[in-house]
Parts: sequence; structure tokens; C-alpha cells
Amino acid sequence: MSYVKCLKAKESGTEYPIEPRTICDNDFSPVEVQYDYDAMRGKVTRESIEAGPRSLWRYKDLLPIEGEPRAGFNSGWTPLIKADRLAKKLGVDELYIKDDSANYPSYSYKDRVVSVAITKAAEFGFDTVGCASTGNLAHSVAAHAATAGLKSYVMVPHDLEEGKIVGSRVFGPTLVKIKGNYDDVNRLCAQIADRYGWAIVNVNLRPYYTEGAKTHGFEIAEQLGWRLPAHTVLPVAGGTILPKVWKAYQEFIKLGLVPDNKPAMYGAQAAGCNPIAKAVAEGSELFHPQKPDTIAKSIAIGNPADGYYVIQHLKESGGFAESATDPEILAAVRLLAETEGIFTEPAGGTTLACAIKLIESGRIPRDEPICVCITGNGLKTIECMAGQFEEVEPIEAKIAAFDTLVAGQSQPVVVG
Amino acid sequence: MATTTRKCWLTFEGGAQNQPRLWEMSRKFPTVMFDIRQASVQEDIGIMAVLFEGEEDEVQAALDNLVSNGVKVDPVEGGSLVAP
Repeated sequence: MSYVKCLKAKESGTEYPIEPRTICDNDFSPVEVQYDYDAMRGKVTRESIEAGPRSLWRYKDLLPIEGEPRAGFNSGWTPLIKADRLAKKLGVDELYIKDDSANYPSYSYKDRVVSVAITKAAEFGFDTVGCASTGNLAHSVAAHAATAGLKSYVMVPHDLEEGKIVGSRVFGPTLVKIKGNYDDVNRLCAQIADRYGWAIVNVNLRPYYTEGAKTHGFEIAEQLGWRLPAHTVLPVAGGTILPKVWKAYQEFIKLGLVPDNKPAMYGAQAAGCNPIAKAVAEGSELFHPQKPDTIAKSIAIGNPADGYYVIQHLKESGGFAESATDPEILAAVRLLAETEGIFTEPAGGTTLACAIKLIESGRIPRDEPICVCITGNGLKTIECMAGQFEEVEPIEAKIAAFDTLVAGQSQPVVVG
Repeated sequence: MATTTRKCWLTFEGGAQNQPRLWEMSRKFPTVMFDIRQASVQEDIGIMAVLFEGEEDEVQAALDNLVSNGVKVDPVEGGSLVAP
């Protein structure tokens, strides 16, 4: 049984049936899935969720699908790590890392949103899915489409590096190289969705796709022992995940599954693409679009589709937004790896770097529970770490040479 | 000539927010219908959701006119407003 009621426009409140749709016809605002929470009460419980699979589908009752999942059977339920060594470094009492760099099968949080979008595509009867992307989204769509037995099209700019294409092509999608930049490719995708009747996951399935991001928040709450962190730091790119983690927290509060501790949300952006952080710092409700220039390419969106709503949620929750420079981002990538053994992409480095700045500025108190959300794996972007390490000279294969090397080290090997 | 409808986000900044750019456009392209569906304006920036309708060439010329006068025009669906 599904608890889904309808789609509803965020601005005018106009209601629509459950169908492939991105925006409201009247005010052009995004439409969002609505649920019957009254019907859920007493049925969607801690026990019913705990009895579910160890994947994002344990939250199926709070996701917009009617039947059984068609993809993502092993996606989600990623580790929530109590990061004591990092906490000690930062001088905070209680710090957690929600680690979607370990998400299955394509090692980013996108496996959550795509699992829901692909399942919904199959329910709607689509036989072909697609997306425009050069990174995590493309990898995830290609992988999940393979699982569900759907045809997939991955649209990329024609000059994309081969290395980034392989992570998608290995799953067997049709790759389409398009002469143009990201904007051109995205625009074409919207037209393709209309003309060919295909499911473009982040266009005509966007309301369902974005709901998958809630599972990141549900898991944080459940893994924390059915409570919410006082402070949650998330990256902001197009603006999907932060409003949805906020929605997840509010849904659990509404259903009485967690106490309402008034959780605060914080947005993290790279200084080279920080329209939201800049608007928040200026106290503005609107943001100025920017041209991105940062190594954190997976979150380099200068005109975030849901940016307005991110600002609203930051304000409503009593949170803030921060931005970090590329050197700060790379330093944070290394700090997380050296203290907690997690290798994240620059987007994750951005989130941690911003969390550090928010702690140091006093925006986030040191004595309250903090969760830093890591959304992607560093092994996909190793080129970003080029130049970060000194050259290592080889030594002779003799113990004496090793003895000399160790004796010459002035710094301890272990970080801590 | 085929008629078309285009749903656009218009961003007015860098001074454009203080100028009557839509009125100027409508004077130059009187056959292009525009319908404001949403708007939010601050001191330094204004954003509008606008539906344009008319002959394809005229609508494109009207949008080009806005762009040449400092208004940022993005399609509501597709383009930079859809997260990659």
C-alpha cells in the first residue's frame, strides 16, 4: 500500500496527479510529492522500518513508489561513523560522518535518487531512461538502468575526458556526445524527454528522483538511535539534498519517530561557486547566478535549480551557509582520509572544510552533536589530488637502506 | 510561421533590475505575448517566471532583445536550472 497522495506546486499549491512532471503549469515552481501522514501514523513505526531491508528501501513507505523496487536493492544504508579522531582534531564533543562515498553501486549519494527514479520510470512504463551529466549522476543512471533492464542514454558534452566517460560506459548505456557545453546538453535533454517520451531522471522524473535524497536523512536519524543531530552540514549544488534531508527530519518528527530537537541545517559550497553562501551571508532571499571556477566540479552549479528553497530551509532551521577555497577543500579531503580513513571527492572536502569554518566561527557550537555529510568517493577524482604529495625516491631493496630512511624521518608517520 | 510558447526565468541584476526591460521589449515586439507567473524583486536583483508566446522568430528575437539589454534568460526546464 502506498501513502502517496499527489504532486503539489511549492508556490501556488496547485495539485496534480502522480505523473511525469517537473513544474507547475501556472507558476512554474517545482512540484513535490505529498503523502498521507495521518494514514501512516501507527503503521510506519520504528519497528516496521527496522524490519525492512538493509538498503534505502527500508523507508519505502515514505518514498513515492506504488509497487516493489526495481533498482537500488543494495543502495543506501551507508555507514554513519562516529568520527572521534576527527572530533578531537576539531575540538568538538560529538561528530558523525554520514558516508555516501560507500554507497552502492556507483559510490555517491546519487544512487539514492536514481534508485527511486528508475523504479518510478518502470512503474510509469518507460523503457528508456537518461540524463545529462559528466559525473556521478551518469554513473548511477547507467548502473541502475542495467539492473532494471532498461535502455539508458547518457548525454555528455563532446569534449568530456575519456576517463570520466568510462565510469558510465562500462554499464552499457548509449553514449551521446553533444557539441556544446553543459547548458546545451541539459536543454537538449528536456526537449528529448518531451519528444521521445523517455524518462530523463532529473527532468521529467525530478519530483520522484529528489525524494530519494530523503533516505540520507532517514538513515542519519535511525543510525543515531532515533534522534537527530543538532547540526547537519550538507553540500549545495543544484539544491536537491539539503531540502530533502530537512524534509526527512520533519517527516520523522511528524510521525513521532524522533524527538523534535529543532535541527539546524548548514550549506557548504566551494568559494569558486558559492551563490547560496553569498546570498545567505548578505541576508538575501535571492541569489546571483555565478560562473563556476572550482575543483569541486560535482557541486559546481552556478544557478541552482532549488537554490531558493535551500536558502529558505537554512533560514527556517536557524542554520547558515559557508564556502571554502580550493586549497581548504583539498586540505579537508586529506584531513578526513588521515583521521577517519575516508577518501572523499572534493565535494566532500568542501563540506568538511565548511563545517570546520562554521565551528571555528562559533556558528556551530562545539558541545552539540554534529553530522557532516559526505556524498561522493575520492577514487573517482584522483586527478584533483595531483601535486598534493611529495615525490617518493626509491631505495635499495636492503634493510640498511630502510633503516637509514626511518632514522632520517623527522615527523612521526602516524597522524593523530 | 509556427507559433511557440517558452517558459523562462528572467534574472535582472547589474542595474537591469531598475530598468523597464519587459516594457521596452513589448514595445519592440508587440506581437509577442508575455505573462508573468511569479516574481521576486530585491534592491540588487529581481527574478521573474515569464511565459512568452508568439511566432517562433519573434519570440526568439524578443528574448535576444532582453539578453542584449542585460537580462539573463534561462529556460524553466532544461538549461542551467536543471542540476547535472
